[in-house]
Amino acid sequence: MRSSWKRCAARDTCFVPLPRLVRTASFRLAALYAIGFAACVLLLGAAAFWSTRSALEKQLTRRIEAEMMLLEQEFRASGIDRLIATVQQRTRVRGNLDYFVADPAGKRLAGDLPVISDRLGWVAYDSGEATGEKQSGESERILVLVKQLDGGFRLGVGEDLEQVGEMEDTFLGILVPALGIVLVLGIGGGLLLSAAFLRRVDMITRTADAIIDGDLSRRIERTGSGDDFDHLSATLNVMLDRIVGLMENLRQVSNDIAHDLRTPLSRLRQDLEEAQKRELTAPELKRVIEGAVAEADVLLETFSALLRIAQIEAGIRRSAFRAVDLSDVLRTVAEAYLPAVEESGRALRTEIADGVQVDGDRGLLSQLFVNLVENALRHTPDGTTITLRLSRQPAGALAEVADTGTGIPADERAKVFRRFYRLERSRTTPGSGLGLSTVAAIVELHHAAIELLDNAPGLRVVIRFPARA
Amino acid sequence: MKVLLIEDDVKTAAYVKRGLEEHGHVVDSAGNGRDGLFLAAGEGYDVMIVDRMLPGLDGLGIVKAARAAGVTTPVLFLTTMGGIDDRVEGLEVGDDYLVKPFAFAELMARINALARRPAIAQVPTVLRVADLEMDLIGRKVRRAGREIELQPREFRLLEYLMRNAGRVLTRTMLLEHVWEFHFEPRTNIVETHISRLRSKIDRGFDAELLETVRGSGYLLRAPT
Repeated sequence: MRSSWKRCAARDTCFVPLPRLVRTASFRLAALYAIGFAACVLLLGAAAFWSTRSALEKQLTRRIEAEMMLLEQEFRASGIDRLIATVQQRTRVRGNLDYFVADPAGKRLAGDLPVISDRLGWVAYDSGEATGEKQSGESERILVLVKQLDGGFRLGVGEDLEQVGEMEDTFLGILVPALGIVLVLGIGGGLLLSAAFLRRVDMITRTADAIIDGDLSRRIERTGSGDDFDHLSATLNVMLDRIVGLMENLRQVSNDIAHDLRTPLSRLRQDLEEAQKRELTAPELKRVIEGAVAEADVLLETFSALLRIAQIEAGIRRSAFRAVDLSDVLRTVAEAYLPAVEESGRALRTEIADGVQVDGDRGLLSQLFVNLVENALRHTPDGTTITLRLSRQPAGALAEVADTGTGIPADERAKVFRRFYRLERSRTTPGSGLGLSTVAAIVELHHAAIELLDNAPGLRVVIRFPARA
Repeated sequence: MKVLLIEDDVKTAAYVKRGLEEHGHVVDSAGNGRDGLFLAAGEGYDVMIVDRMLPGLDGLGIVKAARAAGVTTPVLFLTTMGGIDDRVEGLEVGDDYLVKPFAFAELMARINALARRPAIAQVPTVLRVADLEMDLIGRKVRRAGREIELQPREFRLLEYLMRNAGRVLTRTMLLEHVWEFHFEPRTNIVETHISRLRSKIDRGFDAELLETVRGSGYLLRAPT
């Protein structure tokens, strides 16, 4: 099956082989539905058939009974000869009804029906059998009412069931083709429907297979009709984008880790190598060891920052979210940093609205603003003013950390959130290049949006928090 | 001080034990939860240091079991780095936590603070260190009778130092208690706040109460 659609995948339009079509869920459903529908039509037809037939038969027997009553009265009033005359006359006129009048010996005195001498009441028979004519084509079902008259005479009034037969033929003539049409339409519709579904499913399968084979850029084509399949395709495409993004991220991160940790590791090794030398004096040795410990600390710090980002990204803390007074968080951060900022020759200003609340993790939100303030502190020249702003918005809360420093070039703004990414001019400033990655992870965890804007001059980091749930 | 160390990593256990013994403490160590629990229940320890990740019974389980058995010894959890959520769980069951890898000075400072924590703290209304006085109800600070104006956060910082007078408090401990920052900022914000506080409580007085312990942290004590 795999190879069969592999072949058809090569062509643009795809012929779906019938056996596959029949196996699809949609076809099975359509077929089941068609059969069920046909059974209903059949049942309904049968019911209509039987009721029409019995109505016809009832009508027939009433006519026969009425005629019999009439003839009996005539016999009682005027005797056998009058009856014979009437029957002969009626037979000659050749209405719908047939008759016989027989004497006690069973000899037919009038009428054209064969005499029935052995039974009384309602008798039905094939005319062919009774008359000995064996041409079945002309044989008719006849229904006869037989009565014993005074003096041993017998009278029979009957009618052939031609009418009923005609009705049956007409009925079957309608019902059978109708049933056929229902089945053909149902099953044909099912096939068409499943072919349409299969085409869409195949499209998805083909894309998935291409991705399995390594072409991660493939996406499911959308018809633009906005139907379920389109929605499904869109969702799957978004999922694929996310997976590819994560994989790309992972690849980049592992490359960067390898690259970025080489420097402190080799410095650590140099220090240890130096310590191995015998001729070092005690103070020298102490200095070298202190250097090695410092390098190890850098490594450990980087690792714990990476682990922290990974943990934040895993989203496990969302379950511990509660209402956080963001105003208080920003004030605490501002207060904590005010001395350090002032001592560095910069200024810190706050424009913080009271009682702004968001759903979140207080510890992480503190870290978010600490990282942003530290960034502003470390990557700006003396004399810079750092401003912390917080306001309530219709759609949630708006927090801002702005500085009047040198800013970030527009084309680099998206890249600074990447792990280990550092601007060229910041290469010499100490730092792991993980501060903004942590910020991005915390923002993402809180379903907030972060934007880096030009503060002309300087950088304006804007974070929009959603309203509380 | 009598310390119980429950740690399965032989190297870490030896490092902690040696360090504590050098500081004159008596250390019993257990390599797994069962032995640890047995020791904790039997001997009277001043402090327990418990690793979160242990073979068999984990650290949290040991402390819960010990607490259920009526052991009230203060507990310091050791957790691996990056375990953000361990803190919450750890503080629910234990008294303090420390993330590995840690500086020995940090560990010392924390177990000192733990061991001397009064079992049921009688609530003092006035804290005193030498001639420095803090009125917790009136939220006023005086030194040698002279009133000192403090910012709310400075008050909190000084209160924490005074409550732990004579004990070294590390940068991390101060960040956690005063600012509730459970992470390590790069900028030494503690240092700047300490120097501001120092200028308010020490400048102009004969003796310095607030000391910096190099490589460890800060210490508030009466001059000897």
